[in-house]
Amino acid sequence: MLEGASLAVEDGQFVSLVGPSGSGKSSLLRAVIGLQQPLRGTVEREVPPSDVAILFQDDALLPWKTARDNVALGLTLNGMRHRQALEQADLWLDRLGLSGLGDRFPRHLSGGQRKRVALAQVLARGPKLLLMDEPFASLDAIVRARIIQDVASLVERGRISVLLVTHDLEEAISLSDHIYLLSRGPRAHVSRDYSVPLPRPRDPVRARVHAAFAPVYEKIWNDLSHEVDRRP
Amino acid sequence: MSPRYVWARQLTAFAVLLAIWDTAGRAGLLNPMYLPSPSQIGAALVDLFGSGRIWTHLEATFTAALVGLALGIGAGILLGVLGALVPLIAELLAPVMTLLNAIPRVILAPLFVIWLGIGIASKVALAFILVAVLIFFTVFSGIRQVDRRLVERVVTLGGGRWALVRHVYLPSVAAWVMGNLKVAVGFAFTGAVVGEFVAASRGLGYLLSFAQSTYNSALMLALVLLIMVVVLAIFAIAGRLEKYLLRWN
Repeated sequence: MLEGASLAVEDGQFVSLVGPSGSGKSSLLRAVIGLQQPLRGTVEREVPPSDVAILFQDDALLPWKTARDNVALGLTLNGMRHRQALEQADLWLDRLGLSGLGDRFPRHLSGGQRKRVALAQVLARGPKLLLMDEPFASLDAIVRARIIQDVASLVERGRISVLLVTHDLEEAISLSDHIYLLSRGPRAHVSRDYSVPLPRPRDPVRARVHAAFAPVYEKIWNDLSHEVDRRP
Repeated sequence: MSPRYVWARQLTAFAVLLAIWDTAGRAGLLNPMYLPSPSQIGAALVDLFGSGRIWTHLEATFTAALVGLALGIGAGILLGVLGALVPLIAELLAPVMTLLNAIPRVILAPLFVIWLGIGIASKVALAFILVAVLIFFTVFSGIRQVDRRLVERVVTLGGGRWALVRHVYLPSVAAWVMGNLKVAVGFAFTGAVVGEFVAASRGLGYLLSFAQSTYNSALMLALVLLIMVVVLAIFAIAGRLEKYLLRWN
């Protein structure tokens, strides 16, 4: 259970939340998007719910809809005309490198392709705030690195604020402007936060060899290890 | 042995068996009263179609089975959905359905004849009850297993209750029903034929009962063959439909 988490995501900022398992990172995201009510306290959003999107760890595409229809669904549910939604869907599938795969059902796509469809689905809606719950954990290394590059450039260009939950410290640093560290549960809380002094625009793969990367990594890693070792 | 020619080997074995059976029959080794030869069965089939008297029976059985199938699927879905969504209905329905599921439902045939007469209604009722219970359980347990992640996905995309029904629940229900369609078709024909066998004036089941009472084994085997072909043909159609509607799977 998470207790007393107070954190802010500024406009256009990429913020990550790292912490040991069971610290309630996922619950926090679910509370922000309204899938779960906090037991106490409030979630303050300056953006309306329709401007918030979430990407889960599993892609959870509707298996009976094609890639194109899955993407279009996110648009028609918000009132867009069907025909226009299909055009937009094709556009976003193209942007995510899935040209020509619109007629495929999720079952006939690879894990990386499904993840890209899910991304197209949330990005097509033009969210102001994007929540991601360990979205890349299930992908293998190269597919993962390439999707992360694409996500970074798309949110940077779209000036989308992001709140990413991850176990992967390197991923968090290479993508974020700001990182919050959660303490170990029960009664987890935000124990520390860090600014990431890497320049933008930024390629998250190359960011890992930037001179400013190692000192931040070292600092957060020490604090994180301390949290993991701490007896509850 | 090459797995590609399984069908060829099966066909050959079947032809050999038929040849032995027919030769034994011609040689007088088999009593046609118990086991008529394949050529006698074939002659009975030719007679059924040649005289044209089979059509009215086929029509009766098909009508009863298909009407029972359609009504049974409709009622099964409706009750399954209601049961899954309204706890009170689930409470009241569950014991009834469990009982109906526990007994061989064809034993209700004589009761339906008393209630509904020897006409088509009693056959429809039997096919209906066989199918409805099957579909009810399929849908009832299916809805409770709808993937939560899909529900959350549609909700977070801004979908309301109606969007959930349309994009998540209905397609899930359709998938489970289609997955059981072949079994349901088999049940529907079982219901129709057994109902006719108990008491009727038309239908394949009625012809079976007639063949039995006149000790006409050739006619009986011809009818068994015919029912097999009919159900296999319907299976093929159902299979096609299933393959098309579940093409995403």
